[in-house]
Amino acid sequence: MLADLIQNTLDGLTAGAAYALLAVGFTLIFGVLRRVNLSYGAAIMLGVYFATWTSHHFQVGLLALALLTIAGAVLAGTYVERLCFAPHYAARDLRTGASSSSIAAMVASFALWMQFEEAAILALPKHLYAFPPLYSGEPLRLGSFLLRVESLYLLAAAIAVCLLLHTILYRTRFGLAVRAVIDVPMAAQLVGMNVSSVFVRIFALASAIGGLAGFLIAASHEQVTPMLGMWSTIKGMLAMMLGGLGSLPGAVAGGLVLGLLEAHSQWYFGPQMRDLIAYLLIFVLLALRPAWMTRWTTIRSAS
Amino acid sequence: MDDYSIGVLTNIGLFSFLALSAYLLLIAGEMSFGQQAFFGVGAYTGAMFTAIYGMPLPLAALAAMASGAVVAVLVGLPTLRLRGLYFAMATLAAAEMARILFEMLHFQREINGELVGPDGTQGFRGIRWVFERGVEPLEYMALIYALLVAVLALFLWVERSRLGTTLRSVGADPELAASLGIDVTRLKLGVAAAAGALAALGGVLYAHHNTYIEPRNFDIMLGVHSLAYALIGGLGTAFGPLLGVLIDLGLLEGTRFFHAYRMIVFGGLVAVLLVFRPRGLLDERVVHWIHARAFKRA
Amino acid sequence: MSALLAIQDVVTAYGKIEALRGVTLAVEEGSITCLLGPNGAGKTTLMMTVAGILRPRSGSIRFGGGEIAGAAPHRIVEQGIALVPENRLVFPHMTVLENLRAGAYQRNDRGGIAADIDRMFVRFPRLKERAAQEGGTLSGGEQQMLSVARALMSRPKLMLMDEPSLGLAPLVVEEIFRIITELHRDGTTIFLVEQNAHMALTVAHHFYLIEQGRITFSGDPGSLAEDEVIHRAYLGSAKV
Repeated sequence: MLADLIQNTLDGLTAGAAYALLAVGFTLIFGVLRRVNLSYGAAIMLGVYFATWTSHHFQVGLLALALLTIAGAVLAGTYVERLCFAPHYAARDLRTGASSSSIAAMVASFALWMQFEEAAILALPKHLYAFPPLYSGEPLRLGSFLLRVESLYLLAAAIAVCLLLHTILYRTRFGLAVRAVIDVPMAAQLVGMNVSSVFVRIFALASAIGGLAGFLIAASHEQVTPMLGMWSTIKGMLAMMLGGLGSLPGAVAGGLVLGLLEAHSQWYFGPQMRDLIAYLLIFVLLALRPAWMTRWTTIRSAS
Repeated sequence: MDDYSIGVLTNIGLFSFLALSAYLLLIAGEMSFGQQAFFGVGAYTGAMFTAIYGMPLPLAALAAMASGAVVAVLVGLPTLRLRGLYFAMATLAAAEMARILFEMLHFQREINGELVGPDGTQGFRGIRWVFERGVEPLEYMALIYALLVAVLALFLWVERSRLGTTLRSVGADPELAASLGIDVTRLKLGVAAAAGALAALGGVLYAHHNTYIEPRNFDIMLGVHSLAYALIGGLGTAFGPLLGVLIDLGLLEGTRFFHAYRMIVFGGLVAVLLVFRPRGLLDERVVHWIHARAFKRA
Repeated sequence: MSALLAIQDVVTAYGKIEALRGVTLAVEEGSITCLLGPNGAGKTTLMMTVAGILRPRSGSIRFGGGEIAGAAPHRIVEQGIALVPENRLVFPHMTVLENLRAGAYQRNDRGGIAADIDRMFVRFPRLKERAAQEGGTLSGGEQQMLSVARALMSRPKLMLMDEPSLGLAPLVVEEIFRIITELHRDGTTIFLVEQNAHMALTVAHHFYLIEQGRITFSGDPGSLAEDEVIHRAYLGSAKV
C-alpha cells in the first residue's frame, strides 16, 4: 500500500513537472499580457513536430532536437504574438483593460491553433510518430521503487526554469520591466518602458519554456501524436487554474498538484475517473472560489 | 439539390443552435467554453427517448430541451458569480466532466432483437426515428430551418424588448445593473437555462440527423468553435453567430479546392479579420448603422 | 524664454466624445505653468495626450523643437518628459527602491542612478525610511513623494504633474508644493494640473483655464482676481 503510494507520488511528480512547465508558460502570458493564448499548446506541438520531422530525416543528437523544438515553438509563438496580440496593444486599452480586445486576441489565437494543427497533420500525417528517447537505459532502482531517469530530467528542468525565471524577474532590468507591467501597466509606460517590447520577449520566453516542456514530454514518452497540442493546452490551463491565475509559484504548485492528483486517481480509480476527478476538483475550487484563487484578481482581473 | 449540399446546409443549421447558445450567454456577459455539453445532453436524452422508449420526436425534443435547461441551471448555480476566464474554465471543466460521463454511460435495451442505447465510448447507434418514418433529408433540413427561424424570431423579438436591453446592460456592466435593482443572478440563471435548452435542441436534432453519436462529438473543440462563431460573426445581432457558422462551414465547402489547407486559410482569415474588427463582423456599431439606414428608408 | 512645450489645436476624443476640442497653450522653459479647470474639463486628458497614453486626433505638440504628438509613451520619456499621474500610480508590489529604479529605466549610467537615488532619499527622507517597503503600504502623501521621486529619476526636462495634492492633508499639500518650488529652482520646467487653485496660484508663473475641452483664459496670477479664478476653476464660467 505504502509502496504504491510512494511509487504513484514519484510518477505524479514527474507528470507534474511537465504540467508545471506548461502552466508556467501559460501564466507568463496571462499574468503579463492579461490575455489567454489558446494556441500555446499548438505552438509547442509545431516545435515538437519540427524536431520529429528532422529526426526522421537526419541523424540528430538530443540536444539539437531540444533546441529545434524550442526554436520551432518560439517561431510559432512569435507569429501568434504579432498577429493575434500585438494589434490589440493600444496604450489606451492597457489603461482600461478593454475586454473586447482581449477576447478578440483569444479567438484569434484559437484560429491559429487550428492553423497549427492542420499544418502539423499535413507535415506528418500519421497518427503516431516515434521520437528519440530521452534516456535509453533501465530505470533506477531505489529499494523497491522504480524511478525513471526521464523523471529526473523533467524535475531538473522544472527546477532550472524556476530558478531562471526568478533570476530574470528579480535581477535583471527586463525582469523589473516585466514586474512593473504586471503591477500597473500604465505606470510602466509612464516610466519609459516599452511595453510592446516586453510583451514580445515574454511571449518568446513562454514559448521557449513550452518548447522545452514539449521536447521533454515527447522524449520521455518516445512518441508524438497530433493530440499533443490539445493535451498541452488543457493540462497547462488546468494547472494554471489550480495554482491561482497569474501566479508563477502557483503555476508550478498547480502543475505538481495536478500530476499527483492524476497519478493517485488513476491508480485507485482508473484513467477515466482520473480525468473526471481533476475536472471535478477544478470545478469545485472555482465554485467555492477560495481567497487564494481570487487574490490575484484584485490586482489583475481575469476578464 | 444534391445530397451533399443538403448535408452541408443541415450542418449549418444544426450548429447555428449551438452558436446562438454561446451568443446568448455572451451578451449576458459570460463567456462559456462548455455549451457543447448541453448539445450532448440534448443529443443523448432525445435519442434515448426516441430509440429506447419510442417517444415521438417532438416530445423527445421537448424533454431534451428541458434536460438541457436543468443541467445548465445545475452548472450555473455555483458558477455564475464568476466572471471572465474563471467562468470559462468552470464551464470547460463541467463540459469535460459531461463528456467523460457520456463515456461511462452504458444503457442499452434490446429492441427488436438488437441492442439499442449508449454504449460508452462505442457511442450510440441506431437513432433512426426520423428516417424510419420516411422523412427525406431535404424535409428534415426544412424542419431544422423552420425551428431555427422560429428561434431567430424569438431572439429578434427579445432584442427589441426591454428584456433585451436589460440583458445587454447586465452584460456590459453588471454592478451598475444590480444597483438599478436588476436581479442579476436570477437573470443570468434564466439565460443559462435558455442557452442550455437551445443547445440541447440543436443536439437532439443533430443526433437524429446523424443516427449515431459518440462522446467524442461533444469535445472542447466543438465548444470553442461555437464561441468563435459568435465572436467572429459579431455580437450585435442574432444573425452574427449564424454568419460565423456560415463562414466556417460554408467556407469549408466553398474552399473545397483548398481542401487540405482549409483550416490554414480560415484560421489566417479569422486572425486577420479580428485585427480590424475585434468585435466581429456584425458588431453593435454595424448593426446600429444598418438599423439607421433601414429606418431612414422607411 | 522660449516655449519648451507648445500645444497647438489638439483634439483628443474618446470614440465620438471630444474631450479636448482644440487646446492651444505653451509652457515656457524654466517656468511653473499651471492648468486649472473644473472636473471633466479635460485636464487629465491633456496630460495623458502629452504623455503619449492617448493619441490626439489632430493638432500638434512640439517639445524642444520636435513634434511629439501621437508618439508612444516610452518615446515621450526618451525626449525628457515625465508624468506624475493622477492617483500617483506607484507600483504597489514593488519596493520603494524598485519604484525608483523603474523611474530610471531608460538610463544606463549605474553610478548616476545610484547617486540620484541617494539624492532622492535626501530630499524625501521618509522614502529612505521605507526603502525596502512595498509601494502599496505607503500612505497617500508618501506615495505622492514616491511618484514624484520616480518621475525625477529620469532627469526630465519637463515634469507633468496631474493633481499632486489630490486627497492629501493640508500639511502634506504644503510639503508637495514646497518640493515643486525646489524642483523649479533646480532647473526643471513644471506643467501642473491642479484642482487646488489657491495653492497652485502661489507657485505658478503662468496659468491657463480649461473649460469643456478648450482654453478659456491665459494669464499670470494677479491678472485675474483670485476668487474669479477659483470660481471658474471649480465651477466653470457662467457664460461659455
